[in-house]
Amino acid sequence: MRFLTHSWITLAIVLCASSATYAGTDARTRDLLRQIDDLWRGDSSHGIMRMEVKTAHYARQMTMEAWSKGTEQTLVRILSPVKEKGTATLKSGTNIYSYLPKTDRTIRLTSGMMGGSWMGSHFTNDDLVRESRREDEYDAAISFEGRRGEQDVIEFTLVPKSDAAVVWGKVVLTIRSTDHIPLSEIYYDEDMALARSFSFSAVKNMANGPRPTVMQVTPADHSEEYTRVIYEQLELNVPINDELFSLTRLKQR
Amino acid sequence: MKLTTMAWRNLWRRKRRTAITAFSIAFGVLLAVTFTGSGDYVYTNMINTGAQMGLGHISVEPNGYNQTPGLDKRIHQTTALRQQLIMMPGVSDAIVRIMGQAMFASARKSVGGAFIAVDPAQESSVNNLFIRSIIAGSRFTDSNGQGIVIGSRMAQKLGVTIGKKLVYTTTDVNGEIVSEIARVSAIFQTGVTEVDGAMALLPLDRVRGTLRYQADDATLVAITIKDHRATDAMTAGIAAQVALPEREVLSWRQTQPDLAGLIAMDRSSNYVTQTLIGLLIAAGILNTLLMSVLERTREFGVMMAIGMSPHTLFRLVITESLWLAIIGLVFGIVITAPWYHYLNTIGIDFSGAMGDDYSAGGVLIDPVMKVYLYRESVIAILAGVFGLTLVAGIYPAWRAGRIPPVASLKTL
Repeated sequence: MRFLTHSWITLAIVLCASSATYAGTDARTRDLLRQIDDLWRGDSSHGIMRMEVKTAHYARQMTMEAWSKGTEQTLVRILSPVKEKGTATLKSGTNIYSYLPKTDRTIRLTSGMMGGSWMGSHFTNDDLVRESRREDEYDAAISFEGRRGEQDVIEFTLVPKSDAAVVWGKVVLTIRSTDHIPLSEIYYDEDMALARSFSFSAVKNMANGPRPTVMQVTPADHSEEYTRVIYEQLELNVPINDELFSLTRLKQR
Repeated sequence: MKLTTMAWRNLWRRKRRTAITAFSIAFGVLLAVTFTGSGDYVYTNMINTGAQMGLGHISVEPNGYNQTPGLDKRIHQTTALRQQLIMMPGVSDAIVRIMGQAMFASARKSVGGAFIAVDPAQESSVNNLFIRSIIAGSRFTDSNGQGIVIGSRMAQKLGVTIGKKLVYTTTDVNGEIVSEIARVSAIFQTGVTEVDGAMALLPLDRVRGTLRYQADDATLVAITIKDHRATDAMTAGIAAQVALPEREVLSWRQTQPDLAGLIAMDRSSNYVTQTLIGLLIAAGILNTLLMSVLERTREFGVMMAIGMSPHTLFRLVITESLWLAIIGLVFGIVITAPWYHYLNTIGIDFSGAMGDDYSAGGVLIDPVMKVYLYRESVIAILAGVFGLTLVAGIYPAWRAGRIPPVASLKTL
């Protein structure tokens, strides 16, 4: 289930190839969740996006170009600001490599570094790799269906299975009833207190269909902070050579 | 008259001077005992505490693990190895452990850290510092369960309490990233900031499954020994018995070079201080003896004139310094014994001066200064003070034997 993966890069560039199986989830819920998956499905992708990060200490903006193939291969390269240009992150399988042009060094992130922030945003390195291992971790059910505010929505509540390696207590996903465009995805901790929330907005036609082009994540304990990802360009199912996702290509600017 | 009796009487011709010199020797003994004793005590404590923080005094580990640790490196048949090691003389315990890096995440935050996977049946508050430092909850007892024991600062950073879940992420034997859920069973607090903020204990069998290890695989077998001074000999002995090409036997000096370096540095600065104090005391003794020889020039001249050989005079003065050394040592023992007893049992509490972090080289140290002397240190101090006094007596004694009889009778 692509959306719940909170792997924003994969989310952003839409490389959904796998669809999770929700054991213990009824047929309609499963179908709807799969439809959302299909919305984002593509064998490969290429896109340009802008990321805005605001924290209590700093605010920054960067643009980046990203390529993906399957769920296992992703390459992100910073285009601007100039100071960071060329900095690249390669995800290959469950490994993440980081390349810094200033020092001309490639490092493989160790498990201890997974908790670190990715490019100063509210995403951790772990967020980038986790998604491909998200299958079978949740039981899903429709918890609300009807009018809320201006529009008809369907709300899903996903509860992690007891032995799943998931830190959340539950995840609540809300989609528009009409076209099944996702609106928000809210993560709660074990005490059912808000932990972080994703919101999706600015639905535009991009890559042959309507998609939200702005995604924002807000951590619950610092509500004035956020990371916002804005998709500027997106192509799906474009031919991409496997070689792009290699360590040698990581260094090329 | 015997030379020893004569020397003894000569010494007490100037009672106050002898008493003062004896006191300076005694004070030297006191200082040496305090310095060496606190060193012996602190080093023993640090080494033993360090051994309880994961690696033991001696560890049997995969080749190359010490240089580049990683969870892909492991040793096999650890149960049999442990049995073999425990039976060895001088070994107090051998514990099978997996040690590695991991990321610990809660819904609030994630922190990087390290874990030690332990078999609850093998670990106790005696051989594991973290279990001894538990301040809340109780440690897990199921080696295949979901328990985790974390440091107080990590618990605070993650915002978790007893019973709450967290997810740890690490790399398995193939280098793949793997995640597993755990529930906090206990929280420890050692007082070492970096340990409390980054260390966790996990159940051994559970971690083996997560890492795709075989049932008997582990990172190392940590061996604690009864007397850490036997480390080098025992490391060689164990290596001779259990060495295989793919594993090596290392002492705490190799696995904890920070600690070894710290102790070596502290010990050498201690030696320098003690040598300087010793030299000062020796200069005092030399001064006293030389004075006593020079003021008796005429007396020695008479003695030589009536037939005493320069050699006998030399022996007389040396015997005087020997007596002085004995008096000084006895006096020293008398004043040092109660002081030593006090420091050994009660000690001086420095916790106020040290702040909250009682660590050095990543190892917890006791904020209460106590002393404990090894037998060899006692012998070294006594022999040192005794030898120093004798050496200080050589020059005055040589001077005494060189006094020209006739010329000396003319003076004064």
